[in-house]
Amino acid sequence: MRDYDAIVIGGGHAGIEASLALSREGFDTLLITQSLDAIGRMSCNPSIGGLAKGNLVREIDALGGEMGRLADKAMIQMRILNRRRGPAVQAPRAQEDKFTYSRLAKETLESEKHLFLFMDTVVDLITDDSKRCVVGVVTERGWKISAKAVVLTTGTFMDGKIFIGEYDARCGRLGESAAIGLGDSLRRLGFHTGRMKTGTPARVRKSSLDLDEMEIQYGDDPMRSLSFETDYVDRPSLPCYVTYTNDETHKIIKDNISRSPLYGGKIVGKGPRYCPSIEDKVVRFPDRERHQIFVEPEGIGTEEMYLNGLSSSLPEEVQHAFIHSIPGLRHAEVMRPAYAVEYDYLDPLDLYPSLESKILSSLFIAGQTNGTSGYEEAAAQGLIAGMNAAERLKGNKPFILSRTESYIGVLIDDLVTKGTKEPYRMFTSRAEYRLSLRHDTADQRLTRKSYELGLATKERMERLEKKSEDIRRVKEILQHTRIGQKSAYDTLKEPEQDIMALGIEALGSFPEEILNEAELDIRYSGYIDRQERELEKARKAENMEIPADFDYDSVDGISSESREKLKAVRPVSIGQAGRISGVRVSDIAVLAVAVRSNGHGQ
Amino acid sequence: MAHYETDEPIYALATPFSPSALAVIRASGDGVLSLLQPYFSTDLIKARSQQALHGYIKGKDGKRIDEVVLIKYSKGHGYTSEEAFEIMCHGSLPVIRSISLLLEGIGIREALRGEFTYRAFMHGRMDLTEAEAVEEIVKAKTVRGAGEALERLSGTILEEADKAKDSILNILASLEVQLDYGEDEIPEEWVFPSSEVRKITDRLEAIAATYASSRLWSEGASVVIAGRTNAGKSSLYNALLKENRAIVSPVEGTTRDYIETDAVIGGIPVHLYDTAGFRDTDESVEAEGIRRTEELMDKADLIVYVIDPSSSDIAPSDNRVLTVYSRLDINRREAALSFSSVTGEGLDRVIEAISSRLTADLEETAGVPTIDSERQHDKLMEAAAALRDAEKSISFGLDVTAMYLQSALTSLGELTGEVTGEDVLDRLFSSFCLGK
Repeated sequence: MRDYDAIVIGGGHAGIEASLALSREGFDTLLITQSLDAIGRMSCNPSIGGLAKGNLVREIDALGGEMGRLADKAMIQMRILNRRRGPAVQAPRAQEDKFTYSRLAKETLESEKHLFLFMDTVVDLITDDSKRCVVGVVTERGWKISAKAVVLTTGTFMDGKIFIGEYDARCGRLGESAAIGLGDSLRRLGFHTGRMKTGTPARVRKSSLDLDEMEIQYGDDPMRSLSFETDYVDRPSLPCYVTYTNDETHKIIKDNISRSPLYGGKIVGKGPRYCPSIEDKVVRFPDRERHQIFVEPEGIGTEEMYLNGLSSSLPEEVQHAFIHSIPGLRHAEVMRPAYAVEYDYLDPLDLYPSLESKILSSLFIAGQTNGTSGYEEAAAQGLIAGMNAAERLKGNKPFILSRTESYIGVLIDDLVTKGTKEPYRMFTSRAEYRLSLRHDTADQRLTRKSYELGLATKERMERLEKKSEDIRRVKEILQHTRIGQKSAYDTLKEPEQDIMALGIEALGSFPEEILNEAELDIRYSGYIDRQERELEKARKAENMEIPADFDYDSVDGISSESREKLKAVRPVSIGQAGRISGVRVSDIAVLAVAVRSNGHGQ
Repeated sequence: MAHYETDEPIYALATPFSPSALAVIRASGDGVLSLLQPYFSTDLIKARSQQALHGYIKGKDGKRIDEVVLIKYSKGHGYTSEEAFEIMCHGSLPVIRSISLLLEGIGIREALRGEFTYRAFMHGRMDLTEAEAVEEIVKAKTVRGAGEALERLSGTILEEADKAKDSILNILASLEVQLDYGEDEIPEEWVFPSSEVRKITDRLEAIAATYASSRLWSEGASVVIAGRTNAGKSSLYNALLKENRAIVSPVEGTTRDYIETDAVIGGIPVHLYDTAGFRDTDESVEAEGIRRTEELMDKADLIVYVIDPSSSDIAPSDNRVLTVYSRLDINRREAALSFSSVTGEGLDRVIEAISSRLTADLEETAGVPTIDSERQHDKLMEAAAALRDAEKSISFGLDVTAMYLQSALTSLGELTGEVTGEDVLDRLFSSFCLGK
């Protein structure tokens, strides 16, 4: 087999973005996956976006990633969440037709002329020991393929194991074999691995449900797009359904709790606290009379419905019993059982913010392999890993987004600075500057950066320029229109004012999104200014770089505790050093002085 | 997490904080000269760098604080290589304090230990070896936790701050649940816990207010002895000081100006003033003395008003006034606070009355721990202000409310010197049942 510029291992949401970024920048890229039928498969919930995650999708899109466009073409419902709770915390969420999404993802990969797809399982890495870098991969069927950069995105497949009550199997998803061997190879190479756990609920047949016993939840009309490049969404809008557990459900679960592998001790991996299984919810919150269940379609050409809120690892007959205790689901035909999956992840503290490994250079790691959860988190890392692999191939400096400009920056900085003890999910509260990270401004924050690297297209850049100009003009008109004593601009700073209600004729020609965005910019300007000073400080610390080969042992005066932490994380900047938990302010000051006097600083 | 900064305006007292002939206060950072200019009588902008300028430092009220010599440094000169100045003022504690307060009031914050050296180093201007610079900062770590405000933070304050932080964190977590989960999952409207937040705010402000009374202990209370001429003021003054510092004579109007002495009365450090007596007079020198007496009385923490029991004088009505009758040996007034400078009778009761009046403020805030630094006071007030803003912002947007609550937490974190706070998400997951 021929050599490639880059190899991407895995065809999930991280692998898709990584392989597209590399190939679109002109690098011959080979994507190796265990199953070509599972590209872009949505293993769990049939939706893309949501709070904080929707912001990630729009940032991925702004950088020239694919997730937003795929979601726009496969959506079957769209909602803007948390409209009432403040613009900084509202975000779009789209229900998706899983099958369409997956098919379109494969089609998109196939349409790239520098991208090659190959079905096999990677079991080992080929390394150049003198340079401590990766130079290729070895597959299960014996192929040895060389490449100058490798992106690893194994998801839940590395030594994956699924659990349903007493049953377990070496799978990454139900019915799909785990990737065996790679975990051992990586451990041999010195990677630090751990186990994590996640789970997914049962799927039931729509025609067996008592739909009239459940509340109906419709999507927004019109349907908004996730991608900045989509002008108009022409998709069907399907409803979801809402029902609730009850005493009987909880009793069935409590009576059988000892049969759960989670409580029986068979699963050692740490699961996500924010997305507990139904048995977790019942045990940890015994006072709750009921738990909400969302019944969501998995697609258009399918009867399968996803029971959001009922993930479980109890035996199947127990699952059937508790599902049948719930109104609307009393006669449900269970098509796929709920199950838990446990898998190997690699400690993200072993990564630089470029997502390149500190242990093996030219190896980039993204997605669930780094201890995250969620399609959006995976895609965001895949994109950044792919972009950085490309920068590495070009011989350029890494491309790092800061916490102050993006959720992607927050995500990666958290991972590589603090590590994670449970599957990491994005929350808006993780971002210190979330007022500045609205989903509708992602293009203004990020597109130019990607365009300059050669990923975002010229067309995307032109769209941004037009939008920015429109917003500027709207603000100008508002400044020059008087409403009573004040300009319309100042009037909009008051909480109850609405740009549409001002009735300014000159604004009639602008699209609603432009008006809304201008309005939010104005309304929040005071608060954003308040954050600016803090932001400026943060940027300064971020710009003080620490050389990769910096010798922490040569600096006198750093406490030994901080020294160990600094050596473990090897921060790239004084800013990152300051966020390592337990490192003292004074140690950071000493470090800054030492870095400066080494002649590398500033 | 806080960092040592560069360019942000900072100041520090370069000489010890104790009474001396001269004190040096230096400041550094972008714009320090123009920040100070409105409060300095000589043109700072036109002056050459490293030039010594004579002039007056004025307070925000326009009154002169002190006559000083100031050295100006333009950017690129001086110790830190930033725009800077050094003020040489009189080394009295009130002067040092007033100038510090002024600088803080105009946006120049107190420097962390070693911060000047740090800046000098970072700007590559300093000739010190690396080791020396590092050492100074390291020293700061033990002395002061380098900006972690543990310097004089009592255990009680720490407890109080932690308690407030805990309550705010709970409130923030209950709000963040709403912000990080959709309205379909958490349909309940979030209600701002007004009474709880007000309780926290009041408590923080009460603690901050103790700064004024604890200042009484660290800096001394000013006690002014006033009264008509020849009422026996100097006799009381001398009796209180137990030495003949003022001239005592039976002729009216001997003490024409005022005399000040530092003393300890009933355990409280006191600046004690003996003043010119009130009397209608044409004599200009004496009139000037009376004017000064009035000025002193304005600023006094306590006015001990001495009355000759044979006169018809009545003490001014002011809640800072303590009325004392003299000549107990000659004219006994029952049930009134009286003393005799001849026999010494009644003096102990006068002393007791003075100290109990001075500590009355402290007793009022019994049960509230006291603080003794400007910085602690500011952090508490910052937190309280952020909590008030949080309440005001609820009609605007919950994302803004969350920002204010977070900012209150940050201020309290800076007060206690905590480097990384407890994760809001940890609190959230442990208190709420979440997740589809």
